Amino acid sequence: MNIVAFAARNVKRNWHRSLVTTLAMALAGFIMILFASLSEGLMQTSERNAVAMNLGDIQIHVEGYRDDPDLYMRMDDADALVSKIQQAGLYATQRLYGFGLAAAGTSSAGVQLRGINPENEKTVTLIHQHVMAGQWLDPLEPAGVVIGRKLARTLGVGLGDEIIFLGQASDGSMANDLYHVRGIMKSVAQDIDRGAIFMSEDAFRDLMMLPRGAHEIAVMRPDRRADLEQARSHVATLAGEYETVSWDTLMPVIARILEIMDAQIIIMILITYVAVAMVVLNAILMSVFERIHEFGVMKAIGVSPWQIVLLIFSETLIQVLVASVLALISGWPLALYYQTHGIDLSAIAGSTTFGGIAIDPIWYAYVTPNSLILPVAFLYLIAVLAVIYPAAKAAVIQPVQAIYYR
Amino acid sequence: MNFHKYFQTVLLGVFLLLCGLTPVAAEEQTATERAREILRQVDDMWRGISSHAIFTMQVKTTHYTRSMRMEAWSKGKEQTLVRILSPLKEKGTATLKSENNIYSYLPRTDRTIRLTSGMMMGSWMGSHFTNDDLVKESRMEDDYEPTISFEGMRDGQDIIIFSLIPKPDAPVVWGKIEITVLAEGFIPLQQIYYDEDMAIARTMRFSDVKPMAGRLRPAVMRIVPSDKPDEYTELDYKLLELDVKLSDHFFSIARLRRK
Repeated sequence: MNIVAFAARNVKRNWHRSLVTTLAMALAGFIMILFASLSEGLMQTSERNAVAMNLGDIQIHVEGYRDDPDLYMRMDDADALVSKIQQAGLYATQRLYGFGLAAAGTSSAGVQLRGINPENEKTVTLIHQHVMAGQWLDPLEPAGVVIGRKLARTLGVGLGDEIIFLGQASDGSMANDLYHVRGIMKSVAQDIDRGAIFMSEDAFRDLMMLPRGAHEIAVMRPDRRADLEQARSHVATLAGEYETVSWDTLMPVIARILEIMDAQIIIMILITYVAVAMVVLNAILMSVFERIHEFGVMKAIGVSPWQIVLLIFSETLIQVLVASVLALISGWPLALYYQTHGIDLSAIAGSTTFGGIAIDPIWYAYVTPNSLILPVAFLYLIAVLAVIYPAAKAAVIQPVQAIYYR
Repeated sequence: MNFHKYFQTVLLGVFLLLCGLTPVAAEEQTATERAREILRQVDDMWRGISSHAIFTMQVKTTHYTRSMRMEAWSKGKEQTLVRILSPLKEKGTATLKSENNIYSYLPRTDRTIRLTSGMMMGSWMGSHFTNDDLVKESRMEDDYEPTISFEGMRDGQDIIIFSLIPKPDAPVVWGKIEITVLAEGFIPLQQIYYDEDMAIARTMRFSDVKPMAGRLRPAVMRIVPSDKPDEYTELDYKLLELDVKLSDHFFSIARLRRK
């Protein structure tokens, strides 16, 4: 007896039932592929979002700067180091920090000055896209600064208004100058919202009497899939004596939150898979149990229990094969579509940030071999597991009982 | 760096310097009462006196050394005006304390700004002083309990050392202040500041005693933080006049801009 041919004929014979079972499995596979791709995309982008606004993947400082951000703890060869990192195929930018007082009219507030290299910063972070009103920095206009939104409110300034900065330059003299508000940031993170004044690197150097050097170098790897630790050690080799840390060390809490998010996504995937497994299990169970009578007759005419088991497994595998092909040809292209176009959630979420993490309103899928192979493999696994019990039952049942089985 | 500590030191130094000390009535007193009396006189003398001073301030830190010349006026407790005479870059920069507000005039931008409380603890002119130091005052008598811990000859000088222990509820940062004064005229020689763990936090030394505003006073005051023994800020009084006539109008925002 050719089991496979027999099984194929059985599948074809009751094609209504086969179609329902197959479609149920195909739908399950489709959902799993899509969901796995979207989840993968969420996990991939959450890290990028965490670092894209300000942090960068990797930061370089003078040892000890992070504990005590001192104007004098700077890397004198920062420009050369940035070029070196850029030549190594990574994005890098230098930053300068200073503290002081900003005043406008009768209001004043303590501020953190951020000297930015607008050209390089654009390659590393997305902060230039995060201007609420006005424009981002222009190196050709050194007196134009961009400030945090809460700071703008505290000082009572709008676009074009003047701001006086008062602080201490590196030579101990008084650093003070007049600037005008060129742009106001959207909400980024509390410290930036409340007290950041972004100015171009050159303006910062003039004001604070710092002809060279930088306090921080932020590095971003161009390929998100590249291993972070590997990139870090590569940069660390270039940075020599300086402290090179990756973002998850800088922001352990956010790294931990993302880990938890990843775990949540995996739990979501599992729940989806279990729900899908129920559908498949039900379809297969029904298709076997409603045929117990038929199997009884087969046994009565001399078909061995082992052949019955093989037959049932073959029938199921034929259907799973068809279902997985259907799932792949429907799910894969759609996942690929969302990988390029994304699902636009801006109507619900809008572009915003939360604690320095950019919330990207467009949800991109990310198709990996795993997001295709795992759902299909899972489909097979479920089908095989689902069929064991009814197949065994059909195999061991007495023909007479089976014939009268209701 | 604890700017608050600097404030306390400078404060003490400034008032001792500006006001001097008068001899205590030689009556029978217990040591504590006598110490209190000295301190009270110091406090009382410091208040309600107008002054005019010209001094230089030299600041030495790990990163820079700079010298500035300044002119200062004060009237009562509430009004103080300090103007920078040199260097050129900061010339004309003026700080005014009037009532509870502090204003800073910045000639480079030709603007006057009001300093927030947050800025008050910032370094003033890159020195070991805060903005607060120059304009704030407090009464040691209110915050500290003095006891005379030594009286007699030491290093060929007849001196009195007294210790100031903060009162239980006093809002101060020091664990103890030890003041050494000459027995004659109570001219301060040295003040040692102890932190709450009774370790020396910094030392203020007075030197160059010469006649100023009618009596002998030390013209030089140098603060050395003990965690950075190579750094210091030194004030050197070139001129000191007390009880000068100054109108309230003198301490107005409008006056700030006047060169």
